[in-house]
Amino acid sequence: MDTNIEKIPTTPPDEITWEDDLKKVGLLRRLLRARKWYGADWWFVAISSLAVLFFILVAIFPSWFAPYTPDTLVGPRFLAPNEIPAVSVLIAPSDSTISSLKDLAVDENADRPKVAVVMGASTSGDLNDTAKQIDADLISEGNGLRLRPVIERYDSLDSALQAVADGTDAVAVIESTEFAGVSQNYTSLREAGSLTGEVVSTSTKGFVMGTNDIGQDIYSRLIYGTRIALIIGFSSSLLSLFLGVPLGLLAGFIGGALDRLLSLVMDSLYAFPGLILAIAIAAVLGPSILNIIIAISVLYIPTYYRIVRGQTLTVKEEVYVEAARSIGARRSEILGRYIFPNVIPSVAIIFSVNVADAILTGAGLSFLGLGLPPTIADWGIDLARGQRFIQTAPWMITFPGLAILLVVLAFTLMGEGLTEIFNPKLRDR
Amino acid sequence: MTDDILYSIRNLTVDYKTRAGIVHAVDNVSLDIRRGEILGLVGESGCGKSTFGKALLRLHDGPASIPAGELWFDGRDLMKVPMKDMPEVRGAEIGMVFQDPMTSLNPVQSILEHLTETIQAHEPGTSDAAATARAEELIERLGIRHERLNEYPHQMSGGMRQRVMISLALALRAKLVIADEPTTSLDVIVEAKFLDLLKELQEEFGLTILLITHNIGVVAEVCDRVAVMYAAKMAEVGTAEEVFAAPKHPYTQGLLNSVPNIDMDEIELYKMGGEPPSLLHPPKGCRFHPRCPQAMEICGQQEPSFEEIANGHRTACWLYQAHEAAARAKEAANG
Repeated sequence: MDTNIEKIPTTPPDEITWEDDLKKVGLLRRLLRARKWYGADWWFVAISSLAVLFFILVAIFPSWFAPYTPDTLVGPRFLAPNEIPAVSVLIAPSDSTISSLKDLAVDENADRPKVAVVMGASTSGDLNDTAKQIDADLISEGNGLRLRPVIERYDSLDSALQAVADGTDAVAVIESTEFAGVSQNYTSLREAGSLTGEVVSTSTKGFVMGTNDIGQDIYSRLIYGTRIALIIGFSSSLLSLFLGVPLGLLAGFIGGALDRLLSLVMDSLYAFPGLILAIAIAAVLGPSILNIIIAISVLYIPTYYRIVRGQTLTVKEEVYVEAARSIGARRSEILGRYIFPNVIPSVAIIFSVNVADAILTGAGLSFLGLGLPPTIADWGIDLARGQRFIQTAPWMITFPGLAILLVVLAFTLMGEGLTEIFNPKLRDR
Repeated sequence: MTDDILYSIRNLTVDYKTRAGIVHAVDNVSLDIRRGEILGLVGESGCGKSTFGKALLRLHDGPASIPAGELWFDGRDLMKVPMKDMPEVRGAEIGMVFQDPMTSLNPVQSILEHLTETIQAHEPGTSDAAATARAEELIERLGIRHERLNEYPHQMSGGMRQRVMISLALALRAKLVIADEPTTSLDVIVEAKFLDLLKELQEEFGLTILLITHNIGVVAEVCDRVAVMYAAKMAEVGTAEEVFAAPKHPYTQGLLNSVPNIDMDEIELYKMGGEPPSLLHPPKGCRFHPRCPQAMEICGQQEPSFEEIANGHRTACWLYQAHEAAARAKEAANG
């Protein structure tokens, strides 16, 4: 009788496994199936990674997205989102030849011309500013002419225009959009042009997110602020990763006194409330991008250290590490080829959540005025600025806040999604 | 020392430092492993057999140390080899297969990487192609399709992984393979196949295998000789036939009686009384005497030596060496 019936056949049978199955289908199907197998929501990760990619693109090429540079004064101050900036125009009798305020200039001793404005409108400010400018020019020309209009305030548009039509006042200064509606009532009046005589800008475009307290475009500042936020988020996370991971590996692998010393230092750092520690470091180092990066990375080194050290301690005791030693692997090989690759997935996951955290902390530091020099377009600085005008111009603080929220959300969702994919144990939680 | 002995272990002691004190997990054990044999090492859990197996590779670290002993492997004392040169011995001359195949392979390395890394670590000149070719040949020999070399450990079954572990030892033509309970986590069919494979490989490659197990049946099936350990000491060593047919040490007798047998007359299985002693405070004299049905006065006073009672059959029991020593003990008691 053949006693070797249980012998392993020399030609192994064809085994059909789901991996073989998977090789036959296309990429899309594979993604869809992978979702089923890993039980993680791929769309979750896909959408947030697209958002992250978009933010990175914005940070690299802000000029593709922003209409203005962050520092230019583009228009009136405190303009609400999409509000069309008002332009002041002169309304003069049709038979007069007035085409600018300068035409109202008279001899020093003559009667000063009367100009009608509507009470509470922003045009009186424009009138004042322009008149003073022209007056100063006239004085320097030195031919005896002066422009010192008497400003007559009326409580409605109609009474102001009526005064010009009656001849009480020489001209009226009103907003350009207002005259079109009522012009048929005042046939004797015409639009005489802008205060300075230049062509009235016909632009009716406002600013998507409004302007800030010095007339900068908030949208452009947000776009350029992305760059700073991502630079701070990525560099400080990378810096703490490059310091925390090797320290954690060494402490876990070597153990002993080194481990105790490093753990003591890291635990002390960890025990500080995060933002306070960052504030202290930033305050000592002074405001600059590099210093804020250093301050934040010091904050997050213990996170990496603790996770990597813990993982190393676990992996070190795995049988495959002992098996590696039994086939003659050296300590450096064990650390590099057995422990490090088994530890790094958890690091990759916390990295993305960490970037979000670092962006938040960076914005917090700038908000407190400890982060960046105020000339830089940064969300934290914009927040701090907007906070002063939260009642009159809420858009100033809303949009930087939303930007921070979106970026942090995208990074966090991506990190959490990846965690679920790589760690099936969390799936059913 | 005769040439047919591959590994001669002399008076090996392995200590564990614990808070309660020093534990001798292996206490003054001597054993010869002959070239080309399968030697079974059996004993209860915690008797020190795994520690003994690891000590043969000097794999200990942390709380464990080897304070005494000589490890004569193929003509040189491994205890005198500096620790930093031990990796050259491990794998190349002595390989090891571990108990749990599920965790004994690196989850992030493919099977091919495991094999080529092992080959190239010990033979640095080997090209990738040559190492891959060797890996393919080896893995086919062990009954795994070579297409599966690029797979990762989690894609393989327990039996396949255990075969991969064997292939790691064979990749470098290790002279000795220490298999530490290799079949414990496999089911009986896979276990039987694996044991057959071991036996085949031993014949084909002239391999020497130290099979550490608590399963007497496994030993009976494949081993040429058997060593029985009890409480960090060697109790009995002999050929499988002799030990199974005529066990000398009462512990071995008890062990064999407690294995279920289809020809058994009795309904109840024999159950050895008592429990294995704590290695922190081992009993004085023969360590088995508190449980021994044939214990004598001297057993509690003096430790028996590990003596040869027949050709190649050794045991540490006063039943077979009582004469002189017992007399001496009596004299001492009287005097």
